[in-house]
Formats: sequence, C-alpha cells, structure tokens
Amino acid sequence: MQQETTRGLTLIAPPLLYAVALMAGPLLAIVVFSFWTQDYLTIDRTLTLANYREALSDPIYRAILLRSLWISGLVTLITVALAFPVAYFVSFHVDPSKKSLWLFLITIPFWTSYLLRIFLWKVMLGFNGVLNSIFAYINIPLEALGNATGIAWLQEGLSAPLYSASAVVLTLSHAFAPFAILPIFVALEKIDRSLLEAARDLGETAVTTFLRVTLPLAAPGVVAALLIVFIPTVGDYVTPAQVGGPGGLMIANMIQTQFLGLNNAPMGATLAVLAMLVVTVIALATIWLARRLSGVRP
Amino acid sequence: MSLISLRGIEKYYGTYHALRGIDLDIGAGEFFSLLGPSGCGKTTLLRVIAGFEGVSEGTVTISDRDMTRVPPNKRPTNMVFQSYAIFPHLTVAQNVAFGLRRRSDLNRQAKDTLVEEALDMVGLGGFGARASTALSGGQRQRVALARALVLRPKVLLLDEPLSALDKKMREQMQVELIRLQRQVGITFILVTHDQEEALVMSDRIAVMFDGKIAQLAEAEALYRRPVSRRVAEFIGVMNFLPATVADGVVDAQGLGKIVVEDLQSEATTDGETMVGFRPETATLLFPGQDSEGRVARGTVSEVVYYGDMTYYDVRLDGCERPVRISMRNVFGRPVLDIGAEARLAWSPGALTLFR
Repeated sequence: MQQETTRGLTLIAPPLLYAVALMAGPLLAIVVFSFWTQDYLTIDRTLTLANYREALSDPIYRAILLRSLWISGLVTLITVALAFPVAYFVSFHVDPSKKSLWLFLITIPFWTSYLLRIFLWKVMLGFNGVLNSIFAYINIPLEALGNATGIAWLQEGLSAPLYSASAVVLTLSHAFAPFAILPIFVALEKIDRSLLEAARDLGETAVTTFLRVTLPLAAPGVVAALLIVFIPTVGDYVTPAQVGGPGGLMIANMIQTQFLGLNNAPMGATLAVLAMLVVTVIALATIWLARRLSGVRP
Repeated sequence: MSLISLRGIEKYYGTYHALRGIDLDIGAGEFFSLLGPSGCGKTTLLRVIAGFEGVSEGTVTISDRDMTRVPPNKRPTNMVFQSYAIFPHLTVAQNVAFGLRRRSDLNRQAKDTLVEEALDMVGLGGFGARASTALSGGQRQRVALARALVLRPKVLLLDEPLSALDKKMREQMQVELIRLQRQVGITFILVTHDQEEALVMSDRIAVMFDGKIAQLAEAEALYRRPVSRRVAEFIGVMNFLPATVADGVVDAQGLGKIVVEDLQSEATTDGETMVGFRPETATLLFPGQDSEGRVARGTVSEVVYYGDMTYYDVRLDGCERPVRISMRNVFGRPVLDIGAEARLAWSPGALTLFR
C-alpha cells in the first residue's frame, strides 16, 4: 500500500510540479497581488480591499467588464445557435461512414494559427476589404440598413466594419464554431434513434418530436458548448486588441493595460480575480438552470 | 372481417428485395405472430404496418382505411420497441403520459387516472414518480407496454419484446402478455425469432423466410403439418428419412412401405422425397413391451437424460443418420443404454410427406 502510494506520487510528480509551478503558483500570486496596492513606483504590501472598492465603483471598469460579458454572451449565443444545425445535420443526415470526414473538415480551420485567422478577418473587414468592396460594388444602402438595425458601423456607411464590437463578435464566433459543434454533435449521437420513432409512434409530429425528445436530450451538449465558448471568450485578449478598436476593447485588454501600460499590477490582478469570479458564477448558474430545465436528476 | 389488410406488399432497399409479395389479413382481437430467422423481413413487415417504413408496392389497410402513405403518428397502431425506447429524461409516469398530451378531450386529472390505471395493469402501480433510468429490464418493458396501451390503439405491435430478458422473466412475461391481450381485447402483432414463444402465445403464426410468408397457420397446425422441410426444421425438431414414392406407395428408409393415403399429407408425384416425424410421435419400446402397430428396429446410439425426459438417438436398420426420439420418464420405464437394441413403435398417421 505504502509502496503503491509512493509509486503513484512519483509517476504524477512531473506534471504535478508543472501544474503547481505554472498554474496554482501564479494564480495564488494574482490573488495576493489583488489585495495589495500600487504606491507610485513601489507596491504597498498591506492587505486591503481598496482595489476591489475602486474596481466596483469606477464606471470605466464596470463598463468594460459588462461589455466583455455582453460581447462574449453574444458570441456564445450566435456560435451555439449556428453550431446546432450543423451538428444536427452531421449527426442525423450524413451517412454514418462519412461522419468522421465531416468532423475532420469542420476542424480544418484549426490547422491555421489563430492569429492568422484574425488577420484574415482584418482583410475581410477592412476599409478596402472584401466586405466593403462588395457593398460598394452592389451599392447597398448601408446607412439606411444601419439606422434600421441599429448596428453602429453600418450607420457610418462605408467606414470600415473593422475596429468595432461587431468585428470582435464576428471573429470570435467564427473561431469558436468547432468548439460548439463537437459537444452538441456528441450529445446528438448519443440519442437512441428508437426514442424518436417512439415519439412519432405516440402521436408527435417531426417538429414536436424534436422539441419534446431531441432538444431535451441534447441539452447536456448544448450546455457544454455554451460554457466552452463563453469561458474563454470573456477573457479573450488578442481578438479585441486586433479587430476591436476603442469600442471593442474587453476586460483582458484593460488588465493588460493595468499591468504593462499603467504599471498598476495590483489593480490588474484585482480585475483578473473579479473577471474569474463573474465567469465562475455565470457558469455555475448555467449548469444549475440546465439541470432544472432538462429535468435530469442528479 | 379483418382489421389489417396487407395486399401485394413489396419492399426494396436499393437492390435488396426485403419483402416479396406479402398478402396478409389479421383480425380484430387476434394475437398474431410473425416468426422467422433474422433477416427474413419480419421486423420490416411490422415497421410497414407501424408506418416507419414505406412500401415500394402494395397497400396497407387498417379498419377499412388506406394507411399506405399515412405517417406513424396518424395511425391507430402503437409499438413496443425491442430496446423499449423509454425516454430517459422523463419519469415513469411522464413516459406513460407521453402520448396523452394530444388528447385535448381529457383534463389533467383524467390523464393522471389513465396513467395510474395503465401502470396498475402492467403491475407497476406506485412506480409513477420514479426516474425511468432507475428501472430494470423487465420494468422498462412494462413501462413501454403501459405507454402504448394507455392510448387504446386498435393494434399493438411488439418487436421482439422479450429477447432482452432472461429465461425466467421471459416465460413470466409471455403469460402476462397473453393475459393483457385478453384483458384489453386489442390486436397484438408479435415479431419473434423464438418458435416456442410464438407457439405459446399466438392464435395464428406466419412463418417468414426470405421476405415471403412460407406458412400461415394456427400454432398446432403449424407444428403438426408443416408445409415444407424448412418450416418443419424451424419449428421444433423433426426427423427426416429419405423415401421413394411409386404407385401410391411410399418406401421410407428404415420404416418400410406405407400406403400414401395413410400419411398426413399426400404426395402428388412419384420419385425421390422425404418423410418426417416429430421425436415425440414415436415410442421406444422397452424390453418385454409389445405394440400392436408397426415396429421398426435399430440400435440406440446416444442417450441424453433430462430428468423428466430422455432423448435417444436411434440408428434404424438400413439408415445412415440416426433419428431423435423423446420419451417421458414415466414411473416404471427404464432408461435404455447406448448400444442397446431398439424397437420403435410408430404410426403412418404421424408421418409428414414432403414434396
């Protein structure tokens, strides 16, 4: 027994050390930092909640955190809403022998670096970009369209759609699509097809069968997809920095500014801890809500 | 008058011909079985009746209404699936109530009463609030039955419902299904590959091979007078002996000459053929016992003792392959040993002559 334990610990020691050194350590440091304060060039190491007080009362931080949640919430909804039909199609309408080929094709965008994909979107969305050229060529009344829908960059006519919150939403939705498709696909694959026949047999139409059987049974996959997209996008830093412009900056950009630009590491740490807490609360609430709605008992 | 009428049903999957010209009438209140080996088309035929499979040709009529192109949710049929198809996200009661949602003529209380009654009927009274995932195989089967029967369909379709249960449970459910069918009085159509199950439960049985109905008969007639060697071999055990027919007389190997009129079925043409008999229709005489009927001689080549029964393999004089004889071990009858001389009392009336 003693020997078994020693051997087990020896085996997991390298990854454990790695995780402690590079995950738990820095995380702990962030939490400690968040209770310190910056005193011009030095750090005041008395523990205080001053940073939290400031972060929660200053409208700038609040606005940026809310904008982060809004953008990633929108990204999550768009991504999952678009991913569901794709996953459904592959699971229910693609020949079983061709399913792995389809999944393979869906993951192909991942073969390109994330940064390269962002730059490709810049080419698409720039002032002389693909999208604007098309609009100019077919002469779409962008201002009218923008006024009708309330989308800011459209209201400005042929100004670039780039450097806006919409550009961030678009880029992130595209980047995270496969993350949303795969868990939903797995959940749909697990549904016993005879359950759908049973529902038809018991009098339901194709549509009501979908609502009463397919959707509730796919719920775990949908929840997984929601969280897989939401959690990393709230803290995404590269996309808003590259395509967001001043109106599309998110909390991660503010944290970066605090640490490197304003030399206020404690404030950056505080914002990071707050962002993590908010994401945790929203994730737990989503799981709790999904459990209640789908009626699955623990 | 028949409740279900199938006329000229043909079904192709690509080039595979799954159902070949099925004509079938099933009456109201009948317990009907589709029996056959796997791949014979019996499940396909059931799914055609349920509406899950379209037909390539032919018509399906249920209660005088053409149902050939009607989807399953609009047919007066309900199905118990082989996998039971119990909704895992719903409780037992919610499963049973699933099909009642569309019954706008019933209020909630009436629906609850119906669900409770259906659960009582299958012996699951008080199980309503349980999670359906916490049930055993036999209980899931009962939920599937209650869920279908609560809708009072004209026809209940059962797709190999007992194949996933252990032997004891299966026998218990066979009896219970017969009781339920008599109680509710609706038509049951059972698909099974188990000949014993079909014989025990059904009023009539259709034996299917290769997408065709080979024989349609009541259980006893099917067992006693199979129309072909293939049917005879599929239903129970039958001994076959090569025979020649000439001038109204059959010469069967090991048994001797028999006048055709004495046999169960009459051959129409002269030539080489087969006669068959069931293991229990001939009697092995023990030493000192006599028979007034015809007696064939041979040697015991194998003895299998089952307690209440003994199975003997007997090689008749002049035969290559042994025949199987089953004897009930009634009091006072000795068990013969391997190598013992065997005298087999048989009667021409128990023989079936195959073409």
